[in-house]
Amino acid sequence: MKHLFLSLSLVGAAALVGCGKSEAPAPAAAPAAEPAAAPAALPELKVAIDPTYQPFTFKTADGKPTGFDVDIAEALCKEIKRQCVFVEQVWDSMIPGLQAKKYDAIISSMSITEERLQVVDFSDKYYSTPSQIVVKTGTPFTDLASLKGKKLGVLKGSTQEKYALGELKPVGVNVVPYEAQDQVYLDIKSGRLDGTVADRVEVTGGFLSKPEGKDYGFVGPELNEEKYFGIGMGVALRKGETQLKDEINAAIKTIRSNGTYDQLAKKYFDFDVYGK
Amino acid sequence: MTGYYASILQGALLTVGVSLAALGVAILLGLAGATAKLSGRPLLVGLATVYTTLVRGIPELVLMLLVFYGGTIGLNHLISLLGFKATVDINPFVAGVLTIGFIYGAYMTETFRGAILSIPRGQMEAAWAFGMGRFQTFVRITLPQMVRYALPGFTNNWLVLIKATALVSLIGLKEMTYLAKQASSATREPFTFFLFAAALFLVYTSVSLWALRWLDRRFSLGVKRSAA
Repeated sequence: MKHLFLSLSLVGAAALVGCGKSEAPAPAAAPAAEPAAAPAALPELKVAIDPTYQPFTFKTADGKPTGFDVDIAEALCKEIKRQCVFVEQVWDSMIPGLQAKKYDAIISSMSITEERLQVVDFSDKYYSTPSQIVVKTGTPFTDLASLKGKKLGVLKGSTQEKYALGELKPVGVNVVPYEAQDQVYLDIKSGRLDGTVADRVEVTGGFLSKPEGKDYGFVGPELNEEKYFGIGMGVALRKGETQLKDEINAAIKTIRSNGTYDQLAKKYFDFDVYGK
Repeated sequence: MTGYYASILQGALLTVGVSLAALGVAILLGLAGATAKLSGRPLLVGLATVYTTLVRGIPELVLMLLVFYGGTIGLNHLISLLGFKATVDINPFVAGVLTIGFIYGAYMTETFRGAILSIPRGQMEAAWAFGMGRFQTFVRITLPQMVRYALPGFTNNWLVLIKATALVSLIGLKEMTYLAKQASSATREPFTFFLFAAALFLVYTSVSLWALRWLDRRFSLGVKRSAA
């Protein structure tokens, strides 16, 4: 029994070493072989990402994590003098993994909500994209009530659903929840829906910029009421890590003021992604 | 584009590795469970019954989260209570193999138990009459005949097990479904990559079916073919 346990932990240790190497950002591949010689003996900060959210976190064809979240994470790490090591994690077990100390921070477009604040801490927001209503171009629109009788799809459990149920349903809009935003687009395409309420960035990349979205456009104002949409996206940390939280908050302030943030944002967006 | 396909293929290798290793664990647990259930000793029967009832009754997803994250959080808590600064990091491959093996061991227990019950009792009694011990009887008489009776149920369990490996992404392993999801989100072409992953699953299951059919023929040698 003892023997078995020993060999299991040996296998574990070997595999861990292997994983560590493959998950390090590509340029670090060479130094990984000779850690002592590397000038950057900075302590690691393990950052969890779920690279399935283009353009915020996704992987390039050669397997490198990239996107706005990843760039922000690198910039923050540089400020607090740590070496970012990215850990890929599925969204469903993001918070359990943080609590199990598999990593120290989540920088993966996680919005700051009341529910999450009960189990993790958040830094200040580092971005907050507005949402907006999308319908066929030419649909008459004066105020929300003019959408009465229209069928709009929303992502189940999303901030947009909260908004739609709070503001659109009362004026007679038919709000239909979906398991995934992609399914909303498929149903718009097949004519079962008149439109959607979605994150501006998401809907631009996933629908409006594609052939099936060419007849559709935004109506109404950009939506960002805190009541529905919350504060924005923050870096999630384990509760009680106040020192790290203060460092990251300071780093966010620094990159906001020294131009690093705007320079990174310009790579991905043509509007102010930080929000108000 | 080809890079994404390559990464999904790599994920497929992991899927094969996890499923085969988990199958090994499941077979061992299944044999142990089935013999325990048939042993007639109250303690062993009780233990095995608790095992199969609990595991078959709880969704796999919940078990996986419970075992992996619950276990790690508990261990880390214990370590910090003892005053150490280190943190435990359970290797996800080992954890995935053990969890899936543990779950499917319960299904295998029932499959093997049913198969052993299908063997006429006279076979074992004859072996004992020849002076074979319990272990010898099991290896020489029960096991080879059990395989034939167990294969249909075993095949079913195996196919479900293969697809259950898609859950190990939950504990941080990059298996092919998760990699397909990453690729489809990066390119915003969901169907291309999911279809590719589905095709890989189909190849894997087809090859297994072919191998299992061969095994079935092999273990049915000397048995008169029934009307089927």
